Amino acid sequence: MAERITDIGPPHFEKFLPPVIKENYGKWKYHEIPEPGVLRHVAENGAEIYSVRVASPRIMSTLQARDLCDIADKYCSGYLRFTSRHNFEFLVSDKSKLEPLKAELAKRGIPKGGTGHSITNIVHTQGWIHCHTPAIDASGVVKSVMDDLFGYFGSHKLPAQLRISLACCLNMCGAVHCSDIAILGIHRTPPKVNHERLRHLCEIPTTIAACPTGAIRPHPDKSIKSVVVNEERCMYCGNCYTMCPALPVFDSVKGGVALLVGGKVSNAKTPPMFSRLAVPYLPNNPPRWPEVVQAVRKIVTKYAEGANKWERVGEWVTRIGWEKFFEVCEIPFTFQHIDDYRWAYDTYRTSMHFKF
Amino acid sequence: MATVEFKGKTFTVDEDGFLENLDQWNTEWVDYVKDSEGIAELNDEHWKVINMLQDYYKKNGIAPMVRILSKVTGFKLKHIYELFPSGPGKGACKMAGLAKPTGCV
Repeated sequence: MAERITDIGPPHFEKFLPPVIKENYGKWKYHEIPEPGVLRHVAENGAEIYSVRVASPRIMSTLQARDLCDIADKYCSGYLRFTSRHNFEFLVSDKSKLEPLKAELAKRGIPKGGTGHSITNIVHTQGWIHCHTPAIDASGVVKSVMDDLFGYFGSHKLPAQLRISLACCLNMCGAVHCSDIAILGIHRTPPKVNHERLRHLCEIPTTIAACPTGAIRPHPDKSIKSVVVNEERCMYCGNCYTMCPALPVFDSVKGGVALLVGGKVSNAKTPPMFSRLAVPYLPNNPPRWPEVVQAVRKIVTKYAEGANKWERVGEWVTRIGWEKFFEVCEIPFTFQHIDDYRWAYDTYRTSMHFKF
Repeated sequence: MATVEFKGKTFTVDEDGFLENLDQWNTEWVDYVKDSEGIAELNDEHWKVINMLQDYYKKNGIAPMVRILSKVTGFKLKHIYELFPSGPGKGACKMAGLAKPTGCV
């Protein structure tokens, strides 16, 4: 414990602000997007700063980070930032450096974009790189989907911004529950109980309490300190495995992807919305997840064709109706789409209004 | 799974140094763990925490919440950290021979 330093917090952000931003902090007049990936902010006194937004894979090596630092040193006096969707922004105070920076990015193959009505970076999780509860991978699926939708990253051709997120299990780390399109890892098999090890690895009451459907109860044989899973009640959420390592739930064949659509967080025009189930299951098919890529593209294409200007996916679906959404996207409507959890009643149709 | 020999006793431990078999707990285990947990000498307060954790675990099948540990022992969280530098979970529960804490820790 000698010479241990604690509770110093992060360094103050002001230390890392470009002088133009520091001087005009809270005094900005307007901004514009001269081209995809470039923003221009103008202050009340006429000072301006350009931010060039570039894509990032989120998981990167120190060598890649150093490369980006080199670029920032060369064109931005060493200033850069990361956005809340893990893109990078180079902050250019000197307008004459803007074109050379863009040329350098093009030479290095670093794509700029992610502004305005585009598909910007996918907020995603750890997947098979680091987590122990995932049903699908994160980085692999994200790379496959972004490769396919790359044209939408560096352009403004959508009706509104379209946010895609991925979470590799139902814990939903990140933003899947409130994204225009959400890719979600799901299990389709109940956990396998390791009765031998359970007593040593798990707190049985916590494990029982972790189940949202009450499917877990103590082992009926009092001499066995373990639990049993009522498979009829289990919906394979994997919560019990989070609490108890003796209940592994991952199945490489049966696990897979669900797609949700129509969430948003902003209050613009309509209140924020949760995303809702669109495709209940797509197979886990590494390394390129073609079924997932295809399904996401289909939804994006149909949305781009059908939605009005400024209309988010959720607003578009609300306007045309869910039955129409399933029809235009050619997604079969199945019993899995019908909510059956606790407050499901409110999601049923209690009206005569519907389209044939 | 690794095994540890200490003062003639054998312990099976996982990669984080928690007991894999809770039946193997004994006072030698506490003695063995204290070095890696940054504790020079065990005093009565250490034992008060360890005994409370074990009693609670035997009675309820779970480790107590931090506030319950504080309330029963009378030690504020700050003092628990002074006793067990890695905290009530990684430090005290490991020494008391409880199962490794789970969830999004």
